[in-house]
Amino acid sequence: MIVETGHFALVLAFALSLVQFAVPLAGTRLGDQRLMAVAGPVAVAGFALTALSFAALTAAYVQSDFSVANVWENSHSLKPMLYKVTGVWGNHEGSMLLWVLILAFFGALVAWFGANLPATLRANVLSVQGLIGAAFFLFVLATSNPFARIDPAPMEGRDLNPILQDIGLAIHPPLLYLGYVGFSICFSFAVAALIEGRIDAAWARWVRPWTLAAWVFLTGGIAMGSYWAYYELGWGGWWFWDPVENASFLPWLSGTALLHSAIVMEKRSALKIWTLLLAILTFSLSLLGTFLVRSGVLTSVHAFATDPSRGLFILMILILFIGGSLALFALRASSLTQGGLFHPVSREGALVLNNLFLTTATATVLIGTLYPLLIEAVTGEKISVGAPFFNLTFIPLVMPLLLAVPFGPLMAWKRGDLYAVAQRLFAAFGGALLVVLLSFFFVDGIGVLAAFGIGVAAWLMLGAVTDLALKSGIGSVGAAVAWRRFVGLPRSVFGTALAHFGLGVTTLGIVAVTTLEVERIVTMRPGETMPIAGYTLRFEGIQPFQGPNFTEEQGRFVYFDAAGRERGAIMSSKRLYTARQMPTTEAGIATRGFSQLYVALGDPTSDGGVVVRVWWKPLVLLIWLGGVVMMAGGTMSLLDRRLRVGAPSARRSKDVLKPQVAAE
Amino acid sequence: MLFWIVAAVLTLCACLAVLLPAMRVRGRAVADADHDLEVYQDQLGELERDAARGVIDAVEAEQARAEIGRRIIKLAAERKQDGSAGSGRLGRIVATIAVLAVPVASWGIYAAIGSPNLPAQPLQARLEKNPADSSMQELVARAEGHLAANPEDGRGWEVLAPIYFRMGRYNDAVVAYRNAMRLQGVTAAREIGLGEAIAANAGGMITTEAQAAFERALEIEPDNAKARFLLATGFAQEGRTKEAEGMLRTMLDGLAADSPWRGAVGQALAQLGVEADPARPGPSADDMEAAALMSDNDRAQMIENMVAGLDQRLRDNPQDAEGWRRLVQSYVVLGRMEDAGDALKRGVEALGDEGEAAGDLVAFAAERGVVLEGQVEQ
Amino acid sequence: MTRKQKRLSVIGGAMVFLALASGLTLYALGQKTSYFFMPGELQAAVLEPGQRIRLGGLVEKGTVVRGEGTAVAFAVTDQVHSVKVAYSGILPDLFREEQGVVTEGTFREDGVFVADSVLAKHDENYMPKEVADGLKATGLWQDDD
Repeated sequence: MIVETGHFALVLAFALSLVQFAVPLAGTRLGDQRLMAVAGPVAVAGFALTALSFAALTAAYVQSDFSVANVWENSHSLKPMLYKVTGVWGNHEGSMLLWVLILAFFGALVAWFGANLPATLRANVLSVQGLIGAAFFLFVLATSNPFARIDPAPMEGRDLNPILQDIGLAIHPPLLYLGYVGFSICFSFAVAALIEGRIDAAWARWVRPWTLAAWVFLTGGIAMGSYWAYYELGWGGWWFWDPVENASFLPWLSGTALLHSAIVMEKRSALKIWTLLLAILTFSLSLLGTFLVRSGVLTSVHAFATDPSRGLFILMILILFIGGSLALFALRASSLTQGGLFHPVSREGALVLNNLFLTTATATVLIGTLYPLLIEAVTGEKISVGAPFFNLTFIPLVMPLLLAVPFGPLMAWKRGDLYAVAQRLFAAFGGALLVVLLSFFFVDGIGVLAAFGIGVAAWLMLGAVTDLALKSGIGSVGAAVAWRRFVGLPRSVFGTALAHFGLGVTTLGIVAVTTLEVERIVTMRPGETMPIAGYTLRFEGIQPFQGPNFTEEQGRFVYFDAAGRERGAIMSSKRLYTARQMPTTEAGIATRGFSQLYVALGDPTSDGGVVVRVWWKPLVLLIWLGGVVMMAGGTMSLLDRRLRVGAPSARRSKDVLKPQVAAE
Repeated sequence: MLFWIVAAVLTLCACLAVLLPAMRVRGRAVADADHDLEVYQDQLGELERDAARGVIDAVEAEQARAEIGRRIIKLAAERKQDGSAGSGRLGRIVATIAVLAVPVASWGIYAAIGSPNLPAQPLQARLEKNPADSSMQELVARAEGHLAANPEDGRGWEVLAPIYFRMGRYNDAVVAYRNAMRLQGVTAAREIGLGEAIAANAGGMITTEAQAAFERALEIEPDNAKARFLLATGFAQEGRTKEAEGMLRTMLDGLAADSPWRGAVGQALAQLGVEADPARPGPSADDMEAAALMSDNDRAQMIENMVAGLDQRLRDNPQDAEGWRRLVQSYVVLGRMEDAGDALKRGVEALGDEGEAAGDLVAFAAERGVVLEGQVEQ
Repeated sequence: MTRKQKRLSVIGGAMVFLALASGLTLYALGQKTSYFFMPGELQAAVLEPGQRIRLGGLVEKGTVVRGEGTAVAFAVTDQVHSVKVAYSGILPDLFREEQGVVTEGTFREDGVFVADSVLAKHDENYMPKEVADGLKATGLWQDDD
């Protein structure tokens, strides 16, 4: 009963999504308030039904109901409860259900918090959301139904894939989807504006928080995925420029551009058309990401079940939405009024520069990701575009952008003074230069480029601090006043500074790991030692160990610092999951500050030793910590009161020609 | 029944979500311009705060204030009264269609893809049922529960291993055989079972691991025909035809005249392209057993090949009543009734219309539901 | 400068930047991509000395030899042709005989492929897509389901 209720609720949600698309659209065409008003309650009801459906599937997983094909294929009665629950979205069908659930959730949020939106805008936005929902509900029901049944039901599930039973991978997809799908709201707003042929003043204020929220989630999702690959795959790598990774990175890049152009639009009513286009492109890239990951057209180090018919379906959705929205854009964009003018050297100019670099970087990554597909389609040759391509194109594009970041927030709107800003950044520049010199002369094995990279990271961090210091007037006013000002700064100022600081932190981690990493592959016999990065690692030996559902060969290592003191033990093992006869590597990781000693065990050699691969990963944790700081920055901006728009009251609207702030 | 009530209630709620807002009489609509004004006023307030805080300097603040002021003036100019609250007839029609579409679409689609009569089957509830009512699979699940609690019960693994194999759970069969050998000791039969399970798991491919298992079995029982046969099959798969052939020939020489393996070995040799023993070609029970090792696709393919071979042979050498009977039977089993009818017709022609052999064939075919074309009229 | 000139110079700057970026991308696509080959396709292929390629296929049965220290040698086959591969490092967990692999590296002068990365996917049913396509094209591998 529970299962079929869930199935029925899903079908009903699909029917409602059709209504949500058609009725409000008809309402705005006919100028009928009542039809437009249907959008909100229908969106909320659709969300409730989708949630019910998701809950039913979760119940089937929790109760190991193997009469549901999806549960049978992806679960096992002996799985720990936590992984039974996370297994709901650990597979294709379930993850697509999560996708539509999040989509419906965002639609419901617009309905709940959208009371203060102009009625036609609200109706159009929800209508577009309804259409996206309808397409994906249909996709789920037609090609990936998680409620398909088996009769008679098997007694045991098939899957207990141990590598997916990891808390990192359990959190990663929902975060990523919250990001991907969050951009659908920006898309809906953009398309709604195009349908209406007018951009309300509230438009940018509405789009910005959605962009911010989606961006925060996407940042978290990417960071989480990267960290999972780092510690679980046992290769010591944290980013492979793999198509699946690129698929999530592309909307992040263009989403970051959107975030910045929306500021210009909100403050100055400028860059309207460009922002609209970015909103469309960002969600298009999210859809493309879903397509690339779900269709299996690309080979990837990440494992996903694939099915060509699904790929074709998503491709059709892709063409419908990207093609449709771009066509609408081409048709309507010229009718939108342009806003304020600005000088090239200004805050707006800096943000345009940011957009130029970010979108170009997006384009290079997109080309690198799709080029193999294109070549295979045209010539039949199989090629791969790997890290060397991306390092050669992406890094030179991003470096100047990173150098320019500290200037942006210090520029004045409309017409800035580059010279004055440079003067104010003098201290930060000096500090960064000092860091370059210090690291060049005091860090072993550092090259000029590495020292320069570290300098860029320092420049970003010091620039962010300078921004806060100048805005609170430290140095020009008394300490007490400065403190009061500091505390009273708008949250968005803190958000900007935090996010830029986080970017510096991540840069530092990336530069340190890529240039200063030490890797050694040796064979070791018990009792032997090897030096690495000032530490000495001693191999104690291998012991068999019996886990609950696996056996493993545990290699025990002890490491000593330069003075010969023992600093701790590292356990690194080769594990064999007996149920599936599946071997995995459990890397041993010891954390020293932000750096890590990473030990992976290889195969035994004939002379009684074992191949050991050891990395010293300096400041590696900063890569993800920077991501967390960026997320904090985004969240901080999200809390800014500026992003909350009040609803007009009848009294106020009469005072339309008296623009003074109401006395309240 | 409960399900239908729940479904009806859900549908009703969904319809109400469409119906209620469409029926509600609204007050005067708020013009879009009012929303814009609200935003501009907000911006002004924010500007004052920023100026007071000293985040922006006085000149910049003054400029910004002027700009917002200009926007507000522009707004007043383009302001127009819009948004009729009352809906025309067209609106009412749209609303009606929408409300009706919800139940029609959802019940229609669900009727096509749902399984309303299939109850949920939580594992716990199924395990608590009376064992007598349990299916084979439920008994297996019970045994699995027992083994999860007592993993050192070798006899349990021993019993379960071939059952797993028959259920197509080859991976589990591999683990069960391994456990049985660990706890009960190594025997040729267990090694063969293990090898078969590994091979079946690899889609019928005799992998290195499976080969090793058969070799170990042969070390224990050098005469074991099954192990030898499967090992030879592995060689054949690898393209090591000579070795496979040699092995099969030695085996054929050593087999007793009535050994059930003769047919299978002969067939295998024939497949290698070698004429082995013209006595009894064609699929035998043992071939079918060998076929059971393969994946469904491979098996279907192998059976097809055998039938096609038989068909061809009968075209070349039609005076074979037994052969015709086998061909008709094969087509019947494959569900290719037309081909069966065709085979019957050709067989009757070949054996002579009025002969006893032809009569037997017609009777044999009739038992299997295959009737000679035009027979009714005769 | 007039406003128009200013605007033109900004647009011109952006164009120059985009041209540089496209040039860089095209150059990188020409230099930094690697072609994928199955062993059987190598005969027909023209490779420059030292050109990086990716070589895929099945690990041939019985060819995995562990040498001194971390060195490993094995052969990659498409069931007809096979190529010797030398690799130093830790093989992936799912590296097994008769399983699909993709290796990346260059050919040594003696015809041995020196791989610096060996990839076997972390899914037990994994058959790298290129390898599966290649085997299907030669008719040596069929889909099970």
